[in-house]
Amino acid sequence: MKRLYFDVEKCMACKTCEIACCVGHSLSKDLFKVMSEESLPLPLIKIKEKDRKPYPISCRHCQEALCVAACMSGCLTKDKLTGAVLHDKNKCVGCWMCVMVCPYGAIRPDRKRKIPLRCDMCKDLDTPQCVKSCPTKAIIWAEEKELVKK
Amino acid sequence: MKQFIVIGNSAAGIAAVESIRSKDRDAKLTVISDEDYTAYCRCVLSYYLAGETPESNLVYRSEKFYKENNIELLLNKKVTRVDPQKNRVILEDNEKLGFDQLVIATGSSPKFPDIKGIRKRGVSGFRTVKDIKEVLGMLPIVKTAVCLGGGLIGLKAAYALKKRGIEVKVIVKSRQILSQLLDKAGADIIQEHLGSQGIEILTGADIIEFLGEGELKAVKLDSGKVIGCEVAIIGKGVSPNVGLVKNTDIRVEEGIILDSFLKTSVENILAAGDCAQTYDIAMEKSQVNALWPNAVEQGALAGKNLVGEGLKYPGSLGMNSVDFFDLPVISMGITRVPKEGNYREFARKVDNSYKKIVLRNNLLVGAILVGKLDNSGIYLELIRKKIDISDIADKLLDVNFSYAKAFDLLGKEDSTYFEIKNK
Repeated sequence: MKRLYFDVEKCMACKTCEIACCVGHSLSKDLFKVMSEESLPLPLIKIKEKDRKPYPISCRHCQEALCVAACMSGCLTKDKLTGAVLHDKNKCVGCWMCVMVCPYGAIRPDRKRKIPLRCDMCKDLDTPQCVKSCPTKAIIWAEEKELVKK
Repeated sequence: MKQFIVIGNSAAGIAAVESIRSKDRDAKLTVISDEDYTAYCRCVLSYYLAGETPESNLVYRSEKFYKENNIELLLNKKVTRVDPQKNRVILEDNEKLGFDQLVIATGSSPKFPDIKGIRKRGVSGFRTVKDIKEVLGMLPIVKTAVCLGGGLIGLKAAYALKKRGIEVKVIVKSRQILSQLLDKAGADIIQEHLGSQGIEILTGADIIEFLGEGELKAVKLDSGKVIGCEVAIIGKGVSPNVGLVKNTDIRVEEGIILDSFLKTSVENILAAGDCAQTYDIAMEKSQVNALWPNAVEQGALAGKNLVGEGLKYPGSLGMNSVDFFDLPVISMGITRVPKEGNYREFARKVDNSYKKIVLRNNLLVGAILVGKLDNSGIYLELIRKKIDISDIADKLLDVNFSYAKAFDLLGKEDSTYFEIKNK
């Protein structure tokens, strides 16, 4: 399964990815119109730091996903074909079990909309918005196997 | 052909059959449930009662699931007895089913304390779809409801009924609500919040009698006060459903005793979920942790071990997450410092958000998060993995705490930041 990897030597913590993520998940898909949308989209990727070293954090779509196991409403499921962790927002009740168990802190509660904020790898797009937007090419969208070869 | 039986069709039972089928497509697999409903999301029942989610969203696994996985599902059949010597289970109607291997995932039932009148019509548990539908059916005639118990069951019921516009009073024996999950400071925030939403909570009180002829009309408290009500929900905890293995070779304390591979004391019988007693990672003793995430994890592992994988169960943990009127709260592990032992606690409270961590020696063993939940999963991972947190102990409560800050402790097998790893 393709997922996000980060070359932290290249990451400048500029947070362009956070903005691209917000815009990509907005209604208008337009940076200048986003600000006037009723509910402001929140980034599904976050840049955290330790000793000035950046650590971009987003959902890893884990093989053994603890969030799927803990999800008491059955709204989080593992797609057997693609390996992605899918979220059905109609089934979700906003109980935050997934937030409680994500060992990466990659799921945050959107308390306003009562759904978890987590990377959906831009679902239908060929390449996620953050990958396209990164000015230093620090975000890598690849299969794990491909990555090892590099 | 081998015959596997799973007793129970909820979190643990379903996780077990999914594991079994991922390894063995051929064996005969039978699931027996004493309920008359396909596998459903028990924890979503309160949201359904509140009118926040439709009945269709209760479905956890539909009929299609059983067909696709070639599972025989027996609904409305109660197993009254497991006979380990003859490798068979005996149903209420005396039908006998043989097995090669068995998973017991019978769950738990609400405790009904010995209070006069508790079996009156209008007094209900809060456990099954049937319970909820009965309460829903009574709603048109209900003006006031009383919830007995200040735990999650009592409060989730209170929340749901309040959302339906019913006046709700919660009767709590101890001095605080959620006494199993939170300390006084955390509980007080929730109690005040619930109060501001119109839920009246009476602490230090108990019901001594349910009044009414046939149908519930009122409850009488130990103070002598009488509260008129048409519905009473009993939220006094649950007890494991273990009656079916009494007086067999399967050892039982509070729940069915399991070894670290989730086997019972009988070789070909495993158990999982609310009916089981497992090693608690934080408490460091065997106990029942009747919670959905534990049940799924145990069920999945029991299923794998049933088909011979021999995986060790790392242990269970108390963990809960709930949201009352937009105020979320998470509790995990040990949240109130015991008198004995080298425990320390650190807390931070800002307005309606509260965070506390509990340390034992150099281990994190518990946490409370009210209001702001970010990073709670990192605390849980530190508790689960029993990692020495000396290096970051002073950072755990920082507003800037994140996975990055704990990376040196948790990131050893994380391939996400590959440059770091390849250096």
